[in-house]
Amino acid sequence: MSYQTIAIAGFIYMLSMPVYIVYILTKSKKIGYAATGILSAGAGIHTYGFVQRFKEMYEINQSFLRSIPVTNLYESLVFFVLCLVTGYLLIEWKYRKKSLGVLVSIIAGITISLTELLGISKEVQPLVPALKSNWLLAHVTLSFVSYAAFGISFITALLHIITETENKKSFKYIFSTVLMGLMFFMFASAVIDTATASNPKTVRMFHSTLGNPSLLVSILSWISLIAIATVCWKYGDLIKRILYGFKIDAQFLEDITYKAIAFGFPVFTIGGLVFGAIWADQAWGRYWGWDPKETWSLITWFVYAFYLHSKFIRGWRGTKISMIAVFGFLVTIFTYLGVNLFLSGLHSYGSM
Amino acid sequence: MLRLNRLNEKVWNFFASVDLAVALFIVISIGAAAGTIIPQQVEPEATIRFFSKFLPLSISMNVYEIVSLLDLNNVYHSWWFTFLLFMFALNLIVCSIDRLPLLIKSFKTPPRMIESQSLEKMPGKHEVELSSSHKLLDKLTNILKRRGYSIFTFNGNKNIQIHCRKWSKTRLAVYLTHLSILIILSGALIGTFFGFRGSMNIIEGTGSNIALSDDGRPIYLPFEIVCDRFEVEFYENSAVPKAYRSYVRLIENGQTVKIKGKENFIIEVNQPLTYRGITFYQATYGFQPAGHAEFRFTFFDKSGKEYKINSHFEEKFKIPESSVTASVIDFSPALGVDEQGKLFNMDTNMINPAVLVEFEHSGKKSHQWILARIPESWDTPFGKLKFNELWGAQFTGLQIRRDPGVPLIYTGSILLCIGLFICLFLKPSTYFIELKDDKISFFYPSSKGAIIMEKEIDKIIQELKGEKDK
Repeated sequence: MSYQTIAIAGFIYMLSMPVYIVYILTKSKKIGYAATGILSAGAGIHTYGFVQRFKEMYEINQSFLRSIPVTNLYESLVFFVLCLVTGYLLIEWKYRKKSLGVLVSIIAGITISLTELLGISKEVQPLVPALKSNWLLAHVTLSFVSYAAFGISFITALLHIITETENKKSFKYIFSTVLMGLMFFMFASAVIDTATASNPKTVRMFHSTLGNPSLLVSILSWISLIAIATVCWKYGDLIKRILYGFKIDAQFLEDITYKAIAFGFPVFTIGGLVFGAIWADQAWGRYWGWDPKETWSLITWFVYAFYLHSKFIRGWRGTKISMIAVFGFLVTIFTYLGVNLFLSGLHSYGSM
Repeated sequence: MLRLNRLNEKVWNFFASVDLAVALFIVISIGAAAGTIIPQQVEPEATIRFFSKFLPLSISMNVYEIVSLLDLNNVYHSWWFTFLLFMFALNLIVCSIDRLPLLIKSFKTPPRMIESQSLEKMPGKHEVELSSSHKLLDKLTNILKRRGYSIFTFNGNKNIQIHCRKWSKTRLAVYLTHLSILIILSGALIGTFFGFRGSMNIIEGTGSNIALSDDGRPIYLPFEIVCDRFEVEFYENSAVPKAYRSYVRLIENGQTVKIKGKENFIIEVNQPLTYRGITFYQATYGFQPAGHAEFRFTFFDKSGKEYKINSHFEEKFKIPESSVTASVIDFSPALGVDEQGKLFNMDTNMINPAVLVEFEHSGKKSHQWILARIPESWDTPFGKLKFNELWGAQFTGLQIRRDPGVPLIYTGSILLCIGLFICLFLKPSTYFIELKDDKISFFYPSSKGAIIMEKEIDKIIQELKGEKDK
């Protein structure tokens, strides 16, 4: 089954994370190649799983365009990871700089394990009539390509803030380092959660750590979360030194953040907003209806429009606008996951 | 008078400012987000219930007062949200009027030679020395022209200065983007004032020319829409609908309407029907048996000959070429069997339609369930009786809309995409070259995009060297 293949790919993504860490600590070229090799292998297996899933869907739907696996929450999460990893590998190849791989593999790992931990159905489901449209392909794939671009801008913006903020007591520094610590913790927790999952139905996010039935484990987990966040906060300048060692400077991080957003923003406008509106117009008889998904897409669009305007017109530089990029991706995550989990609406195919 | 002018200027600058745009981005976002969390367009009780989930009841009542005062339970149609969108439009207009003429003027004014000292102060610089300067200027000019630059050359005392510009007109794209948003907003405005939205439920076999608008008013259509047939296909062994469609006709002044020679139309999800600016969308369906509902059977006699039989509920019909009479005495849209083997109705959708037929043969009565989807159940002691369908027992739920603003929305959307792509992918690039003896110096006015600029300059230098070798 395709979801087993994709789970293996997810495992390999997780595996590449420690290898990337060893690489940035040792600066050994061989380990660097190994890290890239592992991540690429994950992407290769993932692509195979994607094709496998396509075949499974084709058997049910008998239509080429409607069998691209981007039709429910599971498939879209997985597609997001594929875009993110592929996009990152392209950047790595183009700029010959590997150290962003740690955070990319963390996001990929967390996302794939979310599909296990949120109890999302992974079965191939027949398409409901509303989804039988060629706009599905254009709307959903382009949306997720842009989300992946925003994901990359998030990583570089976060690193930019951490490396460029001198004052350790400033809000942006505390916020970004704690966020990074939280990502490390979530990654570790997701690995343990998935590894100890005996019955898929009882599995929950953080069930083996923060939400552990044993009070002791739970308290220890909270302590380690705080400890990880504090370590990230305390040794932020170490990250700066390491990145400088790899010739990754503020200019580079700022450039990539901008480029990812400059690519993602028009793609999001076309795929997410315009194609979405055209499809809604044909399927539901209105191009815009303030459905929670639509509203939050607009908010996402505003945040990135804010980023571009502050950069070009107001001439903001440095970590100030990187904060907008970080915030933009958090809003993107909410648009994508939060709306499906917490708010109800017409985009309920994405629900569990 | 002077004071009034100053005030005017202040107001103008306020509406032209990016700060206002950014503030509006933030305020509109927060308002819109509030609308996704607080239940919209519901009864007061539902709002209070929502707040009482995390607040004590008495406070929830007070919160409701605030909510209804600020229209927070109808954010997107509230006066303040409309006002914000209006401000947004005004901001776009004023800011464009404020800046566009300056930009156009800058295209028209020819550049002037720049002092060498100011060139030296620019953040980016790249110098090369070439051994022979023979016809260097001509070669350089050719290369730059070939690479798509418009160039301006100035002869100084000891030096030659060249200004190179590429894609400088793409600066206009920002205004195209702004204009497209205004077009979209005006399309929305036209839709609100001159359009309508509503829904209508039509039972199979009937027609209607009245729709119900979203706020409960009747809308009279200038023609009637008749649903001849409605069908749902389900995925095998599942209650998940695969497709549902209405077979409709339109009747205007007593005549059946023909569009492109066709008079029977199919409306499906994602395949709407438009006539006279009014578009019909397949939205829902449901089970609602009407008086004219008809059970449709096919009877096969022993030689395999087919007879069509239509009958109403509890209406007796004859089994062909026999003295047997039959009638339908019960119907189930989704017949199922529970764990004890009892029959029950699983669903109101026609997932597994079945009829209970009572046969009467020389005074003796017998009963049998006949299921449309199970061929084994068609065999009766009196021959094979296939239950085809119950016609006239479902309604099709159509969404209707008239929106003259839609063409503007589409135009605006296309322009928005074009504008954004030009803005973000075709960056204007400007730089300056100074020729002094054998030395060529490149200067670029901003450090932004320095990497790309360096690459471009490298290519130019290489071409220059390559040309020399020939």
